[in-house]
Amino acid sequence: MSRRASADPSPRPVSGLRPPPAGSSSAEHEGAIAGTGGSVPAIATSGLRKAFGPRVALHDLTLTVQPGEVFGFLGPNGAGKTTAMKILLGLVRPSGGEARIFGRSPAEPAARRRVGYLPEHFRFQEWATGAELLDFHGRLSGLGAGERAERIPELLERVGLAGRGDERVRRYSKGMTQRLGIALALLHRPDLVLLDEPTSALDPVGRREVRELVRELAAGGVTVFLNSHLLTEVEAVCHRVAIVNQGRVVASGPLDDLAGAVAQLRVLLDRVDRELLALLGRHGQVVRAEGTAVTLAVDTLDVAPDLARQLISAGYRLYGLVPVQQSLEDIFVDLVGEVREG
Amino acid sequence: MLVVARWTVLEARRRRLLLAGVVLSAAFVALFAVGFTLLYHTQERSLLSAQAQGIGPAGSLDVREELLAMSTILVVLGLYGVQFLAALLGLFLGVASVSPEIDSGALHAVLARPLSRLDYLLGRFLALAGLLSAYVLVMSGALLLTARVVAGYQPGDVTRVVGLMILEVLILLAVSLLGSTVLPTLANGVVMLALFGLAWLGGIIGFIGSIPPGNELMANLGTAVGLLLPADAVWRGASFHALPPSFLVASSLANGQDVGLPFASAAPIAPAMLAWALAYPAACLAMAVAAFRRRDL
Repeated sequence: MSRRASADPSPRPVSGLRPPPAGSSSAEHEGAIAGTGGSVPAIATSGLRKAFGPRVALHDLTLTVQPGEVFGFLGPNGAGKTTAMKILLGLVRPSGGEARIFGRSPAEPAARRRVGYLPEHFRFQEWATGAELLDFHGRLSGLGAGERAERIPELLERVGLAGRGDERVRRYSKGMTQRLGIALALLHRPDLVLLDEPTSALDPVGRREVRELVRELAAGGVTVFLNSHLLTEVEAVCHRVAIVNQGRVVASGPLDDLAGAVAQLRVLLDRVDRELLALLGRHGQVVRAEGTAVTLAVDTLDVAPDLARQLISAGYRLYGLVPVQQSLEDIFVDLVGEVREG
Repeated sequence: MLVVARWTVLEARRRRLLLAGVVLSAAFVALFAVGFTLLYHTQERSLLSAQAQGIGPAGSLDVREELLAMSTILVVLGLYGVQFLAALLGLFLGVASVSPEIDSGALHAVLARPLSRLDYLLGRFLALAGLLSAYVLVMSGALLLTARVVAGYQPGDVTRVVGLMILEVLILLAVSLLGSTVLPTLANGVVMLALFGLAWLGGIIGFIGSIPPGNELMANLGTAVGLLLPADAVWRGASFHALPPSFLVASSLANGQDVGLPFASAAPIAPAMLAWALAYPAACLAMAVAAFRRRDL
């Protein structure tokens, strides 16, 4: 667990994150499912809950994803990300609450017509060849023979499997299988793509390719719902994120808001003593103290000049006073860590 | 539904199921043909020579009846072999139809398509039912044809023999497909084999119970097991129609010794049992769909 100064026992309130601006499309905090009138959200869930026996995988998930958004769904393993995604595909029945894709229940097969999906474990019928699988899924999605003949080679090429379509999936490496899974998800030109850990088996080059692919999809107006615990991936492509832990959303909002929500100052001094911590505590909350460096969470960076003057007049030698922009990873670790400790 | 059925047939081809089925079946039929021909002609020769020397069976059976009785036993045993193979095949295919795809996760991507679970299950069932029916048809057809060519054998009602044998296999396919939607693969395999064995044993118990003077408790026990899984009862119904009418009249059956063969039946299937057996696969499928719709993947 992260070292944390005991001076700050209270977990950072999630509501401290900036609320979505009025009139914004982010509607996590609205109780009801939108979807009547105006643009129908690509994804809308309200109070979604799933329990497997006594284990609750998902508590009260309420979120809305608008068409064209790239939405990152973040959380540690076992946080309920995959369960949520499976509910959105009609693979798992919710224990409570409601889910809608483009305004319809995912349990209706027709509602899934515009949806592409890459499963977490991307396992496919191994006896088939890649091209046969694409053909089968194309038929299931209602693509005509002409469309399949055009689309299948195009997609194999697009995901880097050109010339490998006639090999059996059994012979594919994990990375190739995941690429095939991405091709399957995009086969029928869906309006909404659900990707569950899409780069888990890919090397750095493959990861970059997937990022580009997601950007292309977004540019083409496709909504992307991305499950991931790889934060750099999410940071690079997502417009908005929700962080889930133990089945609950612990933070959500536009990426910039999340990252900019909490300002921190890193203070480097010649010594750290109790008086210093008291002095710093009047300007913000001490997040951690390591050696002679103290990290201070502040409401605004405007406290920095005053703080510098006071430190010097109190006799401390000030080596540095640096604003720290929190990365998504910092926020993630803080939020997830807090819940785990709590 | 048809897309899934087509895919299932492709799977059977790719997994060499079809090839293995065809090769082994051809071997089975060939063995039967050779064995049947050899036995028939050897027996015919020895009976004829015995008759010529005047030391033939002293009883009422003449050579023709003796040969008919032997052919009948061989044909019934051959058909018994066919239904046994087909039954096991039906069980295996049913057991392997859904749960392995759930376990491997291959079903997730498929059912995320605009495909209802009903269509998926029916597609699977249709394809496997078609393959199994063709198997039973070809195998039993080849067997009966061999007997006819070699011995001029005429079963009572070919259509009913084949039809009931197909029904038996469809019952087993449907019940194991139902198991496949609710149980893990291995557990389902164990349960299905046990059920199949139980049905077989129930048939034997019922048969013994029917031996004069008759034991009502055993006969009822046999019927009860038949209701649980009517596969063996349906086979017994099929075996009745495989017997030539002249055999039924001429053999010991006509003499009031209502014995027959232990794995076959000298009486047709009861209409109520037949109705139950016809409803059984449909009921299994309906339950499979209901269970599968509720299942979380």
